[in-house]
Amino acid sequence: MTVDERHDTRRPSVGELEDTAFELRTKLLQLCGTYEGAVHIGGDLSAADIFTALYSYGLNVDPTDLASPTRDRFVLSKGHAAVCMYIAMAIRGFFDYDDIVRTYGQLDSAFGMHPCKVQLPGVECSTGSLGHGLPIAVGMALSARGRGESHRVFCLLGDGETGEGSVWEAVMSGRSQKLGNLVAFVDRNRQLMTSFAEERVLFEPYPDKWRAFGWNVVEIDGHDMGQLVAAIDALPDADSDVPTVIICETVKGKGVDFMERNLAWHAGSLGAADLDRALASLAANRPSSTRSEVN
Amino acid sequence: MPVTFTFGEMFSARSVIGSTLAELGDDYPHLWALTPDIGATLVEFREKFPDRFIDVGLAEQACVGIAAGLAYDGNIPVVSGMLPFLSMRALEQVRSDICYPNLPVKIIGTHGGLVGNGGSTHYAVEDLALMCALTNMTVTSIGDPLMVGEILRQSMSMPGPLYVRLAVGKKDRVLYAEGEHDIRIGKGIVAREGSDVTVFTHGTTVAQALDAAEQLADEGISVRVVDMFTLKPLDDGLVLRCAEETGGRFVVLEDHLAYGGLASRISDVIADRGVHLRSFERLGIPQVYAGFGDDEELRDKHGYGLVHTVDALRRAARA
Repeated sequence: MTVDERHDTRRPSVGELEDTAFELRTKLLQLCGTYEGAVHIGGDLSAADIFTALYSYGLNVDPTDLASPTRDRFVLSKGHAAVCMYIAMAIRGFFDYDDIVRTYGQLDSAFGMHPCKVQLPGVECSTGSLGHGLPIAVGMALSARGRGESHRVFCLLGDGETGEGSVWEAVMSGRSQKLGNLVAFVDRNRQLMTSFAEERVLFEPYPDKWRAFGWNVVEIDGHDMGQLVAAIDALPDADSDVPTVIICETVKGKGVDFMERNLAWHAGSLGAADLDRALASLAANRPSSTRSEVN
Repeated sequence: MPVTFTFGEMFSARSVIGSTLAELGDDYPHLWALTPDIGATLVEFREKFPDRFIDVGLAEQACVGIAAGLAYDGNIPVVSGMLPFLSMRALEQVRSDICYPNLPVKIIGTHGGLVGNGGSTHYAVEDLALMCALTNMTVTSIGDPLMVGEILRQSMSMPGPLYVRLAVGKKDRVLYAEGEHDIRIGKGIVAREGSDVTVFTHGTTVAQALDAAEQLADEGISVRVVDMFTLKPLDDGLVLRCAEETGGRFVVLEDHLAYGGLASRISDVIADRGVHLRSFERLGIPQVYAGFGDDEELRDKHGYGLVHTVDALRRAARA
């Protein structure tokens, strides 16, 4: 059964998803303009299209039935992008965006810098320390197999965190256990926190590393919604034997010209003037296919 | 099939892990067993439930993370391996992936203490200090092979994580006759009654403490032996009762660093409750990398062997 067939609601078009991604980025920037502390804005913006493709298209989830055994699972391995996930989930109907903005990072808020399953039902697991998500996703995929369920387990990693050895332990395990129901997305924004990745770590030939471990490797432009949708549509059946990695070529800070590929914007906050500038840049950089619809 | 034991015989605690899990696997259809290449312990489970047995190879971090993923989905994962690696290589996974979300993952393993002659890479001597520091973790250390099965059975209904420490687990003395004690996680066992001094211990040194008590009985010294197999949560009530009933004389004996394990946990109770003891002595591993040798030789070399235990108890009784 394909993901398409498992969804019974009408699925959004690529253009609608691009609008959603624009909404996600806008709300993210607005939150950054409100919250006084630092937000991991660079890696949020690089992953915003992926989050949109998952929560508004690919994931078979129901905000009104969080415990459904057959829901798709999503593990955010790059836990520092939690706020972007919260907003993507809010757009999908899990939370109220205003609650996120009002409480983010505050005492007793469920919405923190890194996601906590105990405090925020709806997220699938607690993450934050890098390299932990994929092993957990392997366990969830094994569980699905053991229970004869046909849902998928999705996991989003940053490329930087794939420097962690535990990621590759899980890459081996996922293939060894023949988990075709396991799908990893890599947000390949080519930046670490304080440097450009290749200056410090030789990641290339990056897709070949995953191929060498026996995974089904798909390489796409992680900001091209059409390619994201096509990659999700083309996923092998969940009962197949080979896990899939979708390596998404992305730009850290995507959509805001003064943040793009700028090491200063791994994390930060936005004053009122910067917020206006960022929103203007976002609007100006909006994909032309959707900009005309709005005007 | 349940294993039967005879008091005083030697038995393999390891084999009890596999046989108990194989037995529990029928009643608990979502019980899984995972191991990083220490699968010999789990043969009976693997043969009976091959679809719920995962050997990840040498990958402790992934092993614990995978267990967390299974537990998130309502399964009961038991991770079995060598404790120096599960408690240290995978410490962050244990802490952040299991304890933080309070998942019912059981970690059970061998090589707790200066056992197995593997050298310091293969001795878990800091593990109890590390595990006791983790919020939500229940921490046990088992000497009697019979208890391994009982602890695993009880753990099936525990909502959170559990750590179970064994020595080498190939040849352990059966300490208790079946049904002799009410074995409950969180409750210490008075393995031998006594009134002059209490020795608190756990795991492989319970047998040594019983031997020391037997020797001292000949001298007219009455030693109470407490098998404090649950280090966390500690049986505070039993500590307080022993302070009253054995003249405020305590010796703590353990195959673990002398600071950071049971002795430290008991001294916390003493300090927090304002108990005035007449004497308190700890016998355990000093801050050294211990070197090679068999178990008894290493305990003797590092000052917590049988002779040292007898001496310490005698000193305490005269205090």
